[in-house]
Amino acid sequence: MEMIKRTLEDVSQIPVMLQTFAKRSKNVFPPIAKDSMYRLLINKVTWVIIAILLLPCLLGVIIYYQTDEDRQIQNIDGDKVYYNSEGDLIHEEKIEAFAGQNYMIIIIIVAVIVAIVFSSELINEEYEKKTMQLLKTTPIHSFEILLYRYITGVICMFGILGLGSILLYYTTMMSSGLHGILENLDVLSLMLKVLLFESIAFMAVFCIFTVYFEKPFLVGIIYWAVWERIVSTQNYQKLTVTHYLDSIMFDSAKDMNLGVDAEFFNLVNSSGDIIATEPLNAMLTIIIFAIFALWFGARGIANKQF
Amino acid sequence: MRIKLEQVTKNYGNVQGISNINLDVGTGITGILGPNGAGKSTTMKMILGLSRPSRGRVTVEGKDPFTSQDLKRNFGFVPEYDCFYEHMTGLEFVAYFLRMHDISKEKAEGMARESLSELGLELAMDRKINTYSRGMRQKTKVARATVFNPEILIMDEPFQGADPTTRILLMEKMTKWAENGKTILVSSHILHDVQSLTDNIALINNGKMLAYGNRHEIRDLINIPRPISIVPVKKGNLRKLAKIMIDKKWTKATAIDEENNEVTIETNQSEEIYLELPKILQKEKITVEKIYSEDDSLDSLYSKLVEGAQWK
Repeated sequence: MEMIKRTLEDVSQIPVMLQTFAKRSKNVFPPIAKDSMYRLLINKVTWVIIAILLLPCLLGVIIYYQTDEDRQIQNIDGDKVYYNSEGDLIHEEKIEAFAGQNYMIIIIIVAVIVAIVFSSELINEEYEKKTMQLLKTTPIHSFEILLYRYITGVICMFGILGLGSILLYYTTMMSSGLHGILENLDVLSLMLKVLLFESIAFMAVFCIFTVYFEKPFLVGIIYWAVWERIVSTQNYQKLTVTHYLDSIMFDSAKDMNLGVDAEFFNLVNSSGDIIATEPLNAMLTIIIFAIFALWFGARGIANKQF
Repeated sequence: MRIKLEQVTKNYGNVQGISNINLDVGTGITGILGPNGAGKSTTMKMILGLSRPSRGRVTVEGKDPFTSQDLKRNFGFVPEYDCFYEHMTGLEFVAYFLRMHDISKEKAEGMARESLSELGLELAMDRKINTYSRGMRQKTKVARATVFNPEILIMDEPFQGADPTTRILLMEKMTKWAENGKTILVSSHILHDVQSLTDNIALINNGKMLAYGNRHEIRDLINIPRPISIVPVKKGNLRKLAKIMIDKKWTKATAIDEENNEVTIETNQSEEIYLELPKILQKEKITVEKIYSEDDSLDSLYSKLVEGAQWK
């Protein structure tokens, strides 16, 4: 009963709080963002992740030099269009390779690791180093403590993974020439869109874990392996972030003729019916979920005792 | 500002942190004394709103510090442990927390520079904290806590690891802040540190409040004899002095310490002794080097209380 009362009180305070936060943000957000970005960039794991992201790019460059001589060029309306030795358009072949690699490596694996590492560095480290105790004796609200670190985390996560995707796109597509690169920018923009919403969703999930659990890394890995990899393929997949990310991806990928179907994304139930969510609804769901997660996380910080 | 703890108990699972603590602190310096693990930090954390009592009530100016956001504008906290963003310079660190008070960058840097300079860190403030000595770290913590002129200053073991110069400097600053009407709560397990700062003390042991108030008044409440030592100039007067004293009605016991050349008497009427002794010495023509009682010191008071002395 008391919890409901407190929640209602919290909700009624939201407009006033938002106004106060907006007013204070010009002084509070920049130092938090600067410090958080610095910490993420000097974190050794960040550089390991960057190295992992560069590996497929390197592979792309090697393949380019190995197959360079086999390419055939045709000039169409001033554009150089490249074909392989079998006469197929190189960019059509390469874009599928890019989409597959980007999805399997960056979206499914690396993004989750980045979210766990970043949320842990930004929130859990404050507890480990006991600086959270100092923050809690200052007038900063627990929602601000979490929100500004979260925003910085999302920007850094999207920045690193987005640049990784752009580089992967370029190195994969460069054998198809400028024509091929420009021809498939819609696929790249789809990947970037999914990465943005993935950053928004997973940073929020793992921020909650860092607030509520003492070993967020372990809990994060278990959550990902069980919930996002197993439950996301079952009938209750609408309770997972993966379902909404795949729904955003599936709708556009279908239109782009990337050779994927609902089954590829596991967007079917046990009866074989497609249960994909409309992309716009999926995006809205992720945003609403992130806001709720931040509120829940902020409550965790506010109620944490030292 | 007024800090009140009413019947406060804090449990950590099955372990009791503090039990039934009552405290009413006003402006000036109040020392919280007790050995390590006595419950000093737990008490301070509850005042700061970092922890909630399991039972009882903690208020600061009538508000609950755990939920009141406004109160936090008035808290300056010097923790016992190191908690820094090691990659920052001292200046950046102090300015960072000022920004959390919604202060602009330029103003925060100016205030931080001034505060750190006052504490003698003008040459080190642009260096990264991970290069600082313990004394410098201590000063940085104090600068961070005091830079915005808080009404309440909670200092948990502020002299720990501080060199003598830092210790004196911090004591001077604390006295000055107290004179300016601030409420300062300082904890220490080194009794001497607090003794030179304030007479107003709270003694805690095993999570229980042993005594709270003026240390002289607390001593008077303890119903056990107080030792007073007399050091005569001539060693030959030791026995004569002891004999005179043992005949007096206010003497409970007398001891001669030939090695240190002193006679120690134990009494329940120390004030009477201090009045009568000069007359006796004059009459017997005994010149003394000094008359002293170490019993008023916090060390002595504390050991008496911890050992379970009787109360009136």
